[in-house]
Amino acid sequence: MSTTRQYLDLDTVKKRWAPRVRRAKRMWSRFTTHKMGVLGVLILLTFILMALFPGAFTRHSLEWQAYLGTDNLRHTAAQRETLPHPPAFGDPFWAPLGTNQSGQSIWTLIVYSADTALYIGFAAGLLSSLVGVPLGLIRGYYGDTWVDGLIQRLVDVFYGLPFLPFLIVLVAIRGVSTTNIILGIAITSWLNQCIIIRGETLSLKERSYVDSAKVAGASDARVVFRHILPNVLPLTFVFLAQDAATAILAQASLAYLGLADFTTISWGMMIQNIQSQGYVFQAWWWLIPPGLAIAAIAAAFYFIGYSMEDVTNPQGT
Amino acid sequence: MSRISARWLLVRLGSAYVTLLVIMTIIFGLIQATPGDFISAMIGPETTQDQIDALYEQWGVNDPLWQQYIDYMINYQTLEFGRSPFYGEDAADLIIRRLPRTLTLFGAAFLIGYVVGPLVGMYLGWWRGTRKDKSVFAGGLLMFSMPAFWIAWLGIWLFNYNLGVFPSRYMFTQFPSFESWTILRTITDVLRHIALPLGSLAFVGWVGSMLVMRPNMINVTEQDYVFLAHAKGLSERTVMIKHAARNALLPVATQAIVGIAFIIDGSVIIEQVFSWPGIGLTLVDAVFNNDYPSADPIR
Repeated sequence: MSTTRQYLDLDTVKKRWAPRVRRAKRMWSRFTTHKMGVLGVLILLTFILMALFPGAFTRHSLEWQAYLGTDNLRHTAAQRETLPHPPAFGDPFWAPLGTNQSGQSIWTLIVYSADTALYIGFAAGLLSSLVGVPLGLIRGYYGDTWVDGLIQRLVDVFYGLPFLPFLIVLVAIRGVSTTNIILGIAITSWLNQCIIIRGETLSLKERSYVDSAKVAGASDARVVFRHILPNVLPLTFVFLAQDAATAILAQASLAYLGLADFTTISWGMMIQNIQSQGYVFQAWWWLIPPGLAIAAIAAAFYFIGYSMEDVTNPQGT
Repeated sequence: MSRISARWLLVRLGSAYVTLLVIMTIIFGLIQATPGDFISAMIGPETTQDQIDALYEQWGVNDPLWQQYIDYMINYQTLEFGRSPFYGEDAADLIIRRLPRTLTLFGAAFLIGYVVGPLVGMYLGWWRGTRKDKSVFAGGLLMFSMPAFWIAWLGIWLFNYNLGVFPSRYMFTQFPSFESWTILRTITDVLRHIALPLGSLAFVGWVGSMLVMRPNMINVTEQDYVFLAHAKGLSERTVMIKHAARNALLPVATQAIVGIAFIIDGSVIIEQVFSWPGIGLTLVDAVFNNDYPSADPIR
């Protein structure tokens, strides 16, 4: 008992983690030389704050409607005439980006949709990494054997899979929800990761430290996950960020085609709504913000991803 | 490198064929798992029960599953796709009629993307690390993150609704008769109609190849032969275009070939926005109408 406690001692932990902390600090200082990456982190942080504390960013809650406030009343005909209302400040109500046809403030909708977008981005990115990275590692380690060939055929099949019908079937079987849409996106987006991680592993496994690990008697699994995985990990973060951006764009497109959960709010759904309600030409204040929000969050992920790429691959610049 | 022997080629072709069979099998499974069947798309209110039964018999829906599977596999490999109940014509004809329209739009977008993208990528790679490189690169990424259908709607709103310059839907002006049309008039009409969809596709499309070209260019400029070319006293321009860019283009070409396969995937939404009568629109309509004879062969 007394001997095992020693490992939990703070100083020992500090000592053990010191090289990793130093490495992380070095990577961070390299990362901050890229203004683009810092900008991406700032945008992402803003959206995370929005998702966590939506109340701090808007004056109204989701139930708020122009003229009515949060009372559960109906608009009069004269009020409904004005209703996708252009931006208004102060009198008679406060809506910095105007309102939609039922009087909800566009800015409030944007703020309250941030969590959906973040959820989609992170969940789809993580899922496709969780599938793509292990398969890529296995393929690379057993490169040019039948295992590699088999997984290559699997990747080919998934490349040929019709995305839209596939997603419709998935949604029909499991019900329309954001989670199922994410599942569909992740199933079709792990392929690039798999191929690139394979190439990286192929070159890494020729290094001498892999040979020495093998000589020391490490099993294949230990070599792959203990010695090769940490070295491809930075690369996977690059692709995680890019996959997250692609997933957000894909979800917006699907929502536009009508394949989205109609009970949750998301930026893609807002663009789909303006089109189905027929206000595209009258309400520019409704059309532009959701697209900008999608572009901002996807760009944030891309910025971070490409700056990371420079950090992890110092030969680049 | 005489690796391309007849045997190697055969193995490659064989495995491609097996992959195709597996994909077809998966699609067959997907169709079986989809709720609703396409017979219901053909039934009107006045169809009698006998007719419905006859339809089921005629289309082979009552056959056992393995029978359907074998029919499906044989028919699709001989390009017998059957008739589309939704459009009322042979699916093969439908696709042959619609494919060129998709190819016009997306071929043009593809061409623009793969001319502009590598060119910009070449300059950015050459000017790596400068402020110009950084700002154009970030701007390109920002454009890459915009949803294409949103750009399309903005384009329609600006150029069609506010300025009235370009039409917003279809491929031709809709007239009852096209007899008096000369070739020149047809071309200008198509050009006016293609402007907005092409513009919104090209707006996003060039970035993909730029993203591949730039790092390649950066790698190439550090090679010895580029250094040698500089040492020979060749002008900057000659070194950049003749020595560096040519070698950096190879991965872009690979990407372009893969990219052709994704034209149809990308076509779906833009064709939907602009009612462009191409194959993506057919796919969406077909999928939402349970119209399998025309939905499957598109893939």
